[in-house]
Amino acid sequence: MNTVQILFFFLSVLAIFSAVMVLFSKSPVHSVLWLIAVFFAISGHYILLNAQFLAIVNLIVYAGAIMVLFLFVIMLMNLNANAEPKKYWWMKFAGVISGGCFLVVLVSLVQQATELTGKQALVKEGNIGLIKNLGKVLFSDFVLPFEISSVLFLSAMVGAVVIGKKD
Amino acid sequence: MNAIIFSAIMGVVMMFSGIITEKKSAISFVAVVALFILLAANIANTYGLCSISINTHDLLHFSKFGLYFNSILITAALIFVLLSGSAVEKVGNYAADYYALIFFVLCGTSILTSFNGLLMLFLGIEIMTIPLYILTGADKKNLKSNEASLKYFLMGSFSTGIMLMGIALVYGANGSFALTTPAAVPNSAGVIPVSFLLVGGYILLFVSMCFKVSAAPFHFWTPDVYDGAPTVFTAFMSTIVKAAGFFAFLVLFEANATLLGPSWKIMLTFVIIATLLIGNITAVFQQSVKRMLAYSSIAQAGFMLFALYTYNDLAKEGILLYAVAYCLATIGFFAVLVKVKDHSFDGFNGLAKAQPVLAFSAVVFLMSLAGIPLTAGFFAKYYMLAAVIKSGGSFWIVLVALVFAAISVYYYFKVIQAMYFKSGDPEIMEVSSGYKTAIVLVSLLVIAIGVLPSIVLNWFYF
Repeated sequence: MNTVQILFFFLSVLAIFSAVMVLFSKSPVHSVLWLIAVFFAISGHYILLNAQFLAIVNLIVYAGAIMVLFLFVIMLMNLNANAEPKKYWWMKFAGVISGGCFLVVLVSLVQQATELTGKQALVKEGNIGLIKNLGKVLFSDFVLPFEISSVLFLSAMVGAVVIGKKD
Repeated sequence: MNAIIFSAIMGVVMMFSGIITEKKSAISFVAVVALFILLAANIANTYGLCSISINTHDLLHFSKFGLYFNSILITAALIFVLLSGSAVEKVGNYAADYYALIFFVLCGTSILTSFNGLLMLFLGIEIMTIPLYILTGADKKNLKSNEASLKYFLMGSFSTGIMLMGIALVYGANGSFALTTPAAVPNSAGVIPVSFLLVGGYILLFVSMCFKVSAAPFHFWTPDVYDGAPTVFTAFMSTIVKAAGFFAFLVLFEANATLLGPSWKIMLTFVIIATLLIGNITAVFQQSVKRMLAYSSIAQAGFMLFALYTYNDLAKEGILLYAVAYCLATIGFFAVLVKVKDHSFDGFNGLAKAQPVLAFSAVVFLMSLAGIPLTAGFFAKYYMLAAVIKSGGSFWIVLVALVFAAISVYYYFKVIQAMYFKSGDPEIMEVSSGYKTAIVLVSLLVIAIGVLPSIVLNWFYF
C-alpha cells in the first residue's frame, strides 16, 4: 500500500463516517459541523485526483460560504427538541422501506456496473481538473451553459431583492 | 436560439420598465408587447427567416416540434398576461419584477423545448423553477403564500438533488451529457450487457421529472403550493411550466425508454394509474375550487403521461393538442377564479345571474377540462388514448383512464351547478369590458379547437 492508497482510504472512511454522523447527530449544529468534515474529506479526494482548483472551490463555496449561512440560519431559528415535528410510525416505516429499496438498487448498481470493472481513478496524474484545462473547456465546449447560467443567477438575484425588500 | 436570447433580454427590459414608469398598467402593456416580440422571434426561428445561430456544441437541438411547442407556450403566456395582467399588478408592489421573473421562466421553457443534453436539461429546469419559488411567495403578507413558497423551494431543491445524482450516474456511464447512449457491444457470450449505472441514473431522472410534473406518488407538494400561491401565479405554473416539464420528460425518455427494458412500462403504468387515481379521487372531496383545480391538474398530468407511454406520431400530436387545450382552459378558468372573491364552491353560487358572460366562459373551460365533445379537451384526451390503442398498448389502461375522466366530470360540473342552479350573491371584483371580450374570445378559441383540432395540428407540418 503506497501513500496515495493510504490517503484514499483514510479520506473515504472519514467522508463516510462524517456523512453518517450528519444523520445521527441530535443537534442540527453538530450535523452542520459534520457536514463540513464531509466537504473537507471530499476536497482531499479532489486533490488526490490532481484537481486542485475544484478542491479549493469546494472548500471556499461549500465549507466556507454555504455552511456558514447554514449555521446562521439554524442558530437564528433557535431549534430545540420541542420544536421537532411529530413523526408517525407509518412515516418512519415508509421511509425505511423506500430508502432500503434505493440502497439495494445503488449497491447492486455499483456491484454489477460493467463500466467500473477494471478501471482505476486517475490518481495523481490526471490533468483534467487543472485550472488551465478547466478554463479551456469551460470557454469553448461549455460556453453556452456558462452564459445561460447567468440568467439563472439573475433571476435568483431579482427574487432575493423582491422577497427581501420592505413593502 | 432566438427565444432563449430574447426572453432573457425581455426580462431585463421588464425590470427597467419598473424604473421608468410607476403606472402598473403601462408595465403590463410593455409585457404584452415583449411577448409579441418573443413570439415573433420564435416563429421567425421556426421558419428560418432570421435566426441567431451560435455554435452550441450540440448542447441544444432545435427541432420543428420543439420550436412549435415553444410557440404554443409563448402564446399561452401571452393569453395569460392579456387575461390576468391586472391581477398580476395587484399581487404586490413589484409588478415589473414579477413580469421579469415570468420572462426568465419562459427562458427556461425555451431551453427545455430545445435541450439536447442532460446539462442543458438541468439548467432549463432550474431557470424555470427558481423564479417560480419567488412568484409563489410573492404575496408576502399572506402566511399561506410564504409557507407554499418555502415548501416548494425545499421540495424542489431536494428533487433537483435527485436529478443531479441521476445525471452524475449517467455521466459516469456515458462519459458525456448526451441524451442518446452509444449502442452497447455484445460481450463474448453474445449478450448485450445492461449498463447498471445508466439504469440507475435514468430511474433517478424519472423520479425527479415525475416530481417536476407532479405525477403521483411525487405529487405531495402540488396542492399546498398551488393553493398557497397567489391565484394568478398558480394559473401560470400549473399550465405553461407544467407543459414545458412534460415536453422535457418526453424528449428525455423518448431516447432512453428502451434502456430500462420491460420494467419501464410497468413503472410508467403504475405512475399513470396512481396519478389518475389520486388526482381524481381527492379532487372530488375538495371544498375550495382552487384546491380542486390543484388536484385536477395532477389528474390532467396523468393523461399527459400517456404520451410517454406510447411515442408514436399520434402521441406527439396528442401532447401538442393537450398542451394547448389544457393551457387555454386552465388559464381561462383561473382568470375567472381571480375575479371571484370567495374561492369555495359556494362562492360561485348564482354567478350566472350576476355575470352571465363570465359564467358562460367558465362553463366552456370546465367542459374542456372534463373532456366533453365540442371543446378542445375532448380531442386532447381522444388523441392520447387513441395513441395508446394505436401503439398496441393494453386496452384496460384506456378503460381505466375513461373511468377517471368520467369521475372528473363530477367535480368540474359541481362548479357549473353552483353557477347556474344555485342562487346566491357572489362577490365579484370589477370586470372591465376589455376583460370580458378577451375571455369570450379565449372560450371561443377553445370551442374552435374542439370542432377543428387541425387548426392547431396543421401548423406542426407547415
